[in-house]
Parts: sequence; structure tokens; C-alpha cells
Amino acid sequence: MFGLKSNVRQTWKKTWQHQLTEYVTQVVWSLDGEILVACSAAGEIVVQAGDNLALPPVYLAGAGAPIDQLAFSADGQFLASGDQAGQVRVWKRQGQQFVLLMTHDRSGCWIEQLRWHPTEPLLAFNVKHTVEVLEVTTKSLVAKLDFENSSVLCIEWHPTNGMLMAGGYQSIKVWDSYDWQAKPIVISIASASLKIACSPDGKYLASGNLDRSITILEWQDANPHPWMLSGFPGKISHLVWSSVLANTTDPLLASASVEGIVVWERNTVFGWKEQILDNHAQAVEAIAFQPQRRQFASAGSDGAVNIWHDAKTLACTLTDASEAFSCLNWHPWQQSLAAGGSQGEIFVWSQVSNSRGFGKF
Amino acid sequence: MAVNLIEDTVPVTVLTGYLGAGKTTLLNRILTHEHGKKVAVIVNEFGEVGIDNQLIINADEEIFEMNNGCICCTVRGDLIRIISSLMRRRDKFDHLVIETTGLADPAPVIQTFFMDEAVKSQSFLDAVVTVVDAKHIWQHWEAEEAQEQIAFADVILLNKIDLVDVENVNELEQRIRSMNAMAKIYRTRNAEISMDDLLGVKAFDLQRALEIDPDFLGEDAHQHDETVGSVAIVEPGAVDGQLLNEWLGFLLQTQGADIFRMKGIVNVQGEEHRHVFQGVHMLFDGMSDRRWRKDEVRKNELVFIGRNLDEAQLKGEFRKCLV
Repeated sequence: MFGLKSNVRQTWKKTWQHQLTEYVTQVVWSLDGEILVACSAAGEIVVQAGDNLALPPVYLAGAGAPIDQLAFSADGQFLASGDQAGQVRVWKRQGQQFVLLMTHDRSGCWIEQLRWHPTEPLLAFNVKHTVEVLEVTTKSLVAKLDFENSSVLCIEWHPTNGMLMAGGYQSIKVWDSYDWQAKPIVISIASASLKIACSPDGKYLASGNLDRSITILEWQDANPHPWMLSGFPGKISHLVWSSVLANTTDPLLASASVEGIVVWERNTVFGWKEQILDNHAQAVEAIAFQPQRRQFASAGSDGAVNIWHDAKTLACTLTDASEAFSCLNWHPWQQSLAAGGSQGEIFVWSQVSNSRGFGKF
Repeated sequence: MAVNLIEDTVPVTVLTGYLGAGKTTLLNRILTHEHGKKVAVIVNEFGEVGIDNQLIINADEEIFEMNNGCICCTVRGDLIRIISSLMRRRDKFDHLVIETTGLADPAPVIQTFFMDEAVKSQSFLDAVVTVVDAKHIWQHWEAEEAQEQIAFADVILLNKIDLVDVENVNELEQRIRSMNAMAKIYRTRNAEISMDDLLGVKAFDLQRALEIDPDFLGEDAHQHDETVGSVAIVEPGAVDGQLLNEWLGFLLQTQGADIFRMKGIVNVQGEEHRHVFQGVHMLFDGMSDRRWRKDEVRKNELVFIGRNLDEAQLKGEFRKCLV
């Protein structure tokens, strides 16, 4: 007989490891899962063939200004980086190779937010209190949007309707990419919006705020009052939606604040029902749902990557980092997870199929 | 794997002072001095640090107020963003200096270190250092910012003393002392000061003894020309812990906007340990400290620095807490 615990317990094995010189700021898989890229606070960008981990990694950039963000375009053809020297660099992918397409210079600014349009080759990023939008095939700047209130703290595209959102002090502003000149819609936020996330079905917009609250708006909302979720131990540090899953009407929302994680599920009667995931001893540095699944992972300053079965029950804890974990990302379709550490380590783990019990994949 | 938080937190010095007082000179001194510390600096837009260093970051002051209008919830949004990012490279530096603009109110900077849990877990305030232009301060004396910068300081540099005569400096020092009874005051030219007096001061460390200038206590009557001033209370005896708590709570609720800083060591009845506390506006932090020594006279020492403080009221109310 197996209890519930042994049913959900998973075994993961380290399948790849690489060492950068400093804090790994991001690990990202290409959409086809063939490439894993990572960047660091020392300015390195490393590319690894995701389908053949035995191949040696290739460096797209060596030492330089700290890189905060890396992102693949929706079609997977472009890779962009933003750094603290104010450079936005865009590479074009040719097979497993990358060719530098352009460098957009905004020296003196920290480029901390990069978001690709969900279908077009449009790249939005922060430049102080503005959002700039580049069309990368023509290498032209198509919009320069003034957020006004403060530096832009977060950027997000709506998945279907072409709207571009930016969050910061006291508001979220929403611009229409079909008419950049039109005045943005302003959504008031009591303190500051630090993280915004649109659900993949485009139905909800969630904002993680400085005043320890989350605001959730329904996009086509008959009800003008957003949901307010509060009672968090600190500001909202991370906010992610799951994919739209089979047999559910709404995706799940996960939030992190200090060392606590809460997974929220829409419940028509009570609004949003919470599930607390409590196992990190220090601040949570990254969270992610596995694409198309309810499986969830979190990385913490406590040096643990936790894998949560069904976004509820702890299934596995990975402790390979020498100090803290800093970032993580799921492989788009394999049972594989990549994470980076504060001391420059990058890891890839894969699940070993359980010989006992009945895994719920 | 558990990160040692004490070892990993970075001390932060906040540098304030009017435009032209000598902040940049002091900053350059910190950056070039051989003190064995690797220093990262966050400068405001107008700062012109003459040193090329990847850990000098330009920031625009962004004041974030919460909707509830509470003064203690006002923080520096830019610092929250920059410090979190900077801490990823914490092995690259072991001290952080934040320069504010000449017209800045230091409170939001200080409050950021109490309010933001990410900033708080990775760094701690070492001291607020204010540079005062001994020659030109008289022109800005009425400015609220100048008074606040003095009132919030742990270390004050009376700079450019070579440009004024001694009587003038004496008068200035006395005036500043009446405003801030806690700060250490140094007379300098060209912002020349020993780095030991500047970095590693631990002024916000609760376990560090409260220091009230004996001269301040010795004076019978304090001249309060300014609306900003200090009130020191030194009383023997023991206090009723509950009464004291209730009083401080009420005081911060009703006068917290006018109380810039406060510190205290109190003798709570029935306790073998000293109780220490500090406050910045309505933010309050207190703890049980070391045991009273056998040969030590148990007493209560409190200092309030703020605007329009009523010495008689504070002393009277405190005495009501005595057993």
C-alpha cells in the first residue's frame, strides 16, 4: 500500500551543470526546447543545446554589464537581452546558432524589463519612465510611451488583443498597439504595481503590489470592482499564471511574497481560493508552472528548488546550489527543469520515472 | 546552504546635505581612501563623482507614498529596485553609500530600510551622515530640508570651517546640538574625516548604547530658536512596561509625523535586562538588551528629535509611566 505522500514523491536527477562567474539572473528555454540560454550579473550569455547536453556550451557574450533579462520572441526566431549598460541586443536564430541583428543603445538606463509581443516581432522594454517598442525586422522604434508616474517597473502584453501594459507607481497604463497615439487606459493602484501578469486566455490581469496586495481584474468585466487579495507578509515579488488546463475554466495564479507562496484558484462562490505552499525558509526568488500542467516549481534563497505536485504537495526538493537559487524555468514539454544559482551555477534536472506508486503526470 | 544573514547583510551609509556643502568631496574621499572596504555608491542625478567605477549608480529619487497617506509608509521606490539588483553582486562590495539630493527629506530613505523586507533582509542602515556648510548654512536655516537633514543625522560634518571664524563655528555647533542631541559632530575642512568615524558607525544598531551629548544634558535651559529640536529625558527609577508601551504607542500615533527620530534605554520594573528602542516617525523597533550590571545605576534615558516638541509635555507624560 502506498500513502498519498509516496504517490506524489518524485525523483529528479541532475543531467547538466555549468558554471558562470556570477549570479545567474535568468535561465530560458527556447519554445521548441532545443536551446537553453542563461545570463548573469557579470554580463555573460551562454547557449546550450537543450536536446544534446553533452555538447559544449557557447558564449554569446562574455564579461560586461549585468544582464537582467533574456527573452525569446513568440516564433522563437529572435533572442533579446537587456542590461545595466542600457543596451538592448537582439540576435536572430539560425538553427542552433545566433547572429547579432541589432543593438539599441540607451546608455545610462537599466533595461530590466523585456517582453515580446505574443505574435509579432515587436519587443517592448523599459527606458526609465518610458516603454519603448522596437520592430526588430525593420529595426525601427515604433513607439515611445511615457508612463509618467515613475520608472516603469513591469511590462506585459495581452495575449490576444494587442494591448501593452506597464505598471509602476500608483497605476497600470494600457496602450493599444493598433493606435499608439491614443491615450492609455489608466488602472489605479493604491501603492505601486511591481509585477503584472495576464492570464494566457487573456481573461484576467493580475497586479502584484508594493502594499502587500494583489489586484485581479477581469478584462471584459461587467463588474468594475477588481478583486483585492491581501494579508501577504511583504510586497509581491513574483506572479505567474498556469496554462489553461483541461477540465478547468480558469488558469491558476501563483504569487510569492518573502518566503511564502500562494496558489490561487478561481471559485465562483468565494472569488479566489488560496492554497499555501509552505516550505521555503528564506525569500522565494522564482516560481513557474510547468507548461500545460498543474506541476509547479519554486526556487529560494534558502538554496532549495521545490517541485510541487498538482501545485499543492511537495514532491521533491533539489539542493544542488552552493548558496541560493536565483531563477528557474521549465522545459516546454519534457520532464525537465533548469535553474540558476547566486554563485553562478546552472543546473538541469530531469525526472526519473518512479518505479513505485502511480505518478500523476 | 542556509545563508548567514548577519555576515551577508551590507551596511549602508546615507549621505545628506545641502547643495554645495561638500557631499561630493566626501564621496570622492570615501571612494579613493584606502580603507580596505569595497564601496558601492548610489548617487543622485546632480552628483558629479569624479571616479569611474562600475558600482557607481545614478538614480532619480522616486518617492512612493502609500494610499493611506501614512508618512512612515513613504519610501524610495528607486532604492527598492536598485538595491535588490545590486545585492546580486554583493561579493563585489561590502559597504553601500547613498547620496541624496540637496533638497531631499531623509525620512523616505531611512524608512525604505525598515519597510521593505527584501532591502531589510540584505542590508542595514549604518548611519545618516549630514554635511553642513559652516559658511552658508545661515542662508538656508529656515529651509525645512536643511533642518530635517540635521535632525535625522547620526554624524554631522561642520564643513568648510576654514572659511569662518571660531566663534561662528561654536555658535553653529551649539545651535545644531540643540536640534540634535544624539549626533556626533565633527569640524572639518574639505570634508576631511577619519573613515572610522564615518563607515561602520552602527548608529541604528539597537544594542549600541544611546549616547546623549553630556553638554546637552548639562544645560539647564535649551534655547529653541528652531521649530526642530531635541528633548532628552534622563530619569532614575523603573517604569511600568505596559504604561510605557501605551504611552509610546499613543505618542507615535498622535505626534509621529513630528517625531523624526527617537531612541531610548529604559529600566522596566521586574526585568533584569535593559530595554532599548528606537523610532523613525511612526516606525518603532524595540528589544530586550543586555542585563543591567551589578554596579550600574539603573536609569531611563530617552531622546526625541522632532518638530514642535513640547519638552514639558514629554517629560510629564514619561514620569507618569514611572512606578
